[in-house]
Amino acid sequence: MAESPRPRVAALALAVGVVLADSSIVVLALPEIYRDFDTSVSGVTWVLVSFNLVIALAAVPAALFARRVGPGRTAAVGLAIFAGAGLACGLSDQLSTLILARCIQALGGAAAVTAALELLPATVGSERRAATVWAAAGATGAALGPAVGGILTELVSWQSIFLIQVPVALAAAVPILSVAKHEAATGIIEAEVRQTGKPHLWANLALAMVSAAIAAALFLLVLLLIEGWRLSPIEAALVVSVMPLAAILGSRLAERVGDTRSRAAAGAILVSGGLAGLAFLPKATIVLTIPPQILVGLGLSLVLSALTETALHGRSPQAIHGGWTISSRHAGVVIGLLALTPIFTAEIDQQRHDAIDAGTAVILDSPIDPLLKLDLAQKVSDQLEREKGKVPTIEPAFEPKPEDPGQRAEVEQLQGELQDQLDRGATHAFSTSFILAALLGLIALFPIGLSRRVDL
Amino acid sequence: MSGEGRWSGRALVVGSILASLVLVGAYLAAGGSSYEPKQVQDPCQPRPWSNPQTLGQIANQFTISALDGAACKLGVSRETLARALATPEGRERFTQRYGIDDEKLAKAIRAGLVRAVDDAEEAGALPSFIAGPLRQTVQSIPLEQAIEIVNDAQSFLGNAESFLGPAQGLVEQLLPFGP
Repeated sequence: MAESPRPRVAALALAVGVVLADSSIVVLALPEIYRDFDTSVSGVTWVLVSFNLVIALAAVPAALFARRVGPGRTAAVGLAIFAGAGLACGLSDQLSTLILARCIQALGGAAAVTAALELLPATVGSERRAATVWAAAGATGAALGPAVGGILTELVSWQSIFLIQVPVALAAAVPILSVAKHEAATGIIEAEVRQTGKPHLWANLALAMVSAAIAAALFLLVLLLIEGWRLSPIEAALVVSVMPLAAILGSRLAERVGDTRSRAAAGAILVSGGLAGLAFLPKATIVLTIPPQILVGLGLSLVLSALTETALHGRSPQAIHGGWTISSRHAGVVIGLLALTPIFTAEIDQQRHDAIDAGTAVILDSPIDPLLKLDLAQKVSDQLEREKGKVPTIEPAFEPKPEDPGQRAEVEQLQGELQDQLDRGATHAFSTSFILAALLGLIALFPIGLSRRVDL
Repeated sequence: MSGEGRWSGRALVVGSILASLVLVGAYLAAGGSSYEPKQVQDPCQPRPWSNPQTLGQIANQFTISALDGAACKLGVSRETLARALATPEGRERFTQRYGIDDEKLAKAIRAGLVRAVDDAEEAGALPSFIAGPLRQTVQSIPLEQAIEIVNDAQSFLGNAESFLGPAQGLVEQLLPFGP
């Protein structure tokens, strides 16, 4: 009796979703991780960079491996490695072991995702339908990732993000095991073997640039919300959910426009416009982040789908060209993070220096007792020095508060003034990075213009 | 490809450009690029006293003036010097970073205290016949005592009679804030 394809399609979609969610799920947990490991923004970025870098490097070789060894076995083993490394991530007590486990997790993930695209045509009936299911599963995972990560971080812990992936990945592997056993027993590989065409250079290059801009948008916005504006991970998750919601609307819009080049260009412009909006926030207010996020969300759904379709159109086998798109997107994420993090951390450092002087000036000009003010000036300065490489916080410097009610009120007012200075400075510290990310999105218009128009 | 499809594509691109320009324009118009960090004031520029009434307020202004004067002499900001003088560790870090020895620091702080007395006199917070002896006193005090005065100007002004010698007893009667 023939097996129903539904559990396998669901399992493959789950596998793709959970792996691609992993590239962004950890974003909202990064501030918690960098506090736990007492590292810097640059250090903790590698939790994200390592995963994306290994996926970028491993996607195409993994697709080739899947075609040679068998996609069923590759997907099953890939998911097992992903689950095991996820467990190691959750149990890591050092940043270095966490980063190493993330690299191994990405290796397993790359194998699972590319093998899934190889298995899907045989399961759903056509390459076109397979590409749609694969892209939708990946987009859903990537869209839900940050929100799920934020909720788990706040309600349980950052470790739970990785631990919860273990049973999910193993559950996804179970229906694929029958294919793996079949391949092992018969030596028959379900994937069709055909000539591969050259990867679509311009579409993949544009994908990399746009992905760099989008990754920067998400990463920087989360850091701004949690570290700059002191939102909890759940609150930040709610705020950044605007982007995937807008992306869902954008995907409806994308269906109505057949010309992929126009869609890609419009998407890149919207992503850049949204990022420029985030660079010029007039106030440190959540509401003002919503219109730019809507533009980024609409833009990313238009540009990513259009460029992926262009890169895959008329090329076979899909797994290898899908591997190239995965590779380009994740390489873009890595480039975005590596290029913008130093700029952003340098801005934070400059802002910290400005904040130390501005903070001392505010304290010296305050009417509080001179002895107390000089003591406070020193404590604030020490606190900001300790926060080198981080978005500064001054609350500990104001503890304990004076017992005298008059002095206490003055000190509290002073703390408020100083916090306002820091909030405005923190918001400003992100501006240059957002502008550069917006420029990356605009530069992507060149390869988009050079790519062949595909009418679907 | 249909003509309608091409038109939709162009409309989408034009709409995206307009939406982006409207957003960025609105944010810039609302002051999105106007942030400037609070600048510290040049300590060599005069900083007017804001009509202090109580001993605490005078001490406050006195400290600020003294820090301004000393910072001006050393070529650093008032804020940097304030942080340096708050603790012995802060002072050590400061002297190492700027290559300043104790003698130079003492001279600068004494100059700052003189400026504080001058400012207090000019603001009418200190009568001239008290300001004179005070000025002479602070010009010759040792470094540790000078730092102590900057950090705790209230005690210094409150106990000024102990520094004044011949003028002992007059301060409490003559300072504007009274006994």
